[in-house]
Amino acid sequence: MDPDAVAKAFVDHYYRTFDTNRAGLVGLYQDSSMLTFEGEKFLGPAAIAGKLGSLPFQQCEHQIVTVDCQPSGPQGGMLVFVSGSIRTGPEEHPIKFSQAFHLMPSPGGNFYVQNDMFRLNYG
Amino acid sequence: MALPNQQVVDYPSFKLVIVGDGGTGKTTFVKRHLTGEFEKKYEPTIGVEVHPLDFSTNCGKIRFYCWDTAGQEKFGGLRDGYYIHGQCAIIMFDVTSRLTYKNVPTWHRDLCRVCENIPIVLCGNKVDVKNRQVKAKQVTFHRKKNLQYYEISAKSNYNFEKPFLYLARKLAGDPNLHFVEAVALKPPEVQIDMAMQQQHEAELAAAAAQPLPDDDDDLIE
Repeated sequence: MDPDAVAKAFVDHYYRTFDTNRAGLVGLYQDSSMLTFEGEKFLGPAAIAGKLGSLPFQQCEHQIVTVDCQPSGPQGGMLVFVSGSIRTGPEEHPIKFSQAFHLMPSPGGNFYVQNDMFRLNYG
Repeated sequence: MALPNQQVVDYPSFKLVIVGDGGTGKTTFVKRHLTGEFEKKYEPTIGVEVHPLDFSTNCGKIRFYCWDTAGQEKFGGLRDGYYIHGQCAIIMFDVTSRLTYKNVPTWHRDLCRVCENIPIVLCGNKVDVKNRQVKAKQVTFHRKKNLQYYEISAKSNYNFEKPFLYLARKLAGDPNLHFVEAVALKPPEVQIDMAMQQQHEAELAAAAAQPLPDDDDDLIE
């Protein structure tokens, strides 16, 4: 399968889920998965979903501008790098962000997120 | 400090940094000042909206360039660039949310790490709301750190000028400085129960006479 197509499909799925049903993201992570969110580290699906669920805004909207992808390692992993902007309410200014995902194949033929790093890009 | 594309003035002006948890009413507060609202500028690379708020004092005009975030604090701490060259600050919490008061020491620490020895006002916002979670007498952090504290209600304009007057006096080094003209504000959106609020202010004054409680709301380092 074309890695760029997989990356694109993953990115579409990830941000659509984030914007409509954030709790649903928990299924993308496994026990060894780690999220670094604005410099803070979270290990495992419960901690990661807990952080994402506790963000103090109900509605948000991601706008994706670029998606870059590389194959990573002999096990068929992928490195995905995203840039875009996020708006946390209809009256708010959009804020630019970058996010990197290290995806690993799971036994069922899907991918899970092994590493996830998120940063806002400003001043 | 004005943004590069913003008008500068020939009277004293100061960068005022506003911090506090998301949703405590920082943006609502600065938007009450009508001329500031007309002259505000947004800088997307820093992610900040700067509102120039003018006040007329017996010593002449003074301008606060109020730096308001685009909501980055909802994701984590703010970058140093937001604080750098800050000359005075407002730390805001929401009296209807205990967590926002609990986070005040963290905001104070982050602010003081970059801005040493600047005048700071702590503001408890939304005092118009009936069901307060942080009572006036429970607010003690300002006493430990020598900050000024005001109860405010941005939506009713209650005490809007107080933080600015305190900061202007500190910056001018003149405790008798006073404002000589009323500022044009947006009309109040809610009414505040003044009898209730006078009771809160009395509790606050009574609490100030009590010894400080143990470090229950101090930051655990």
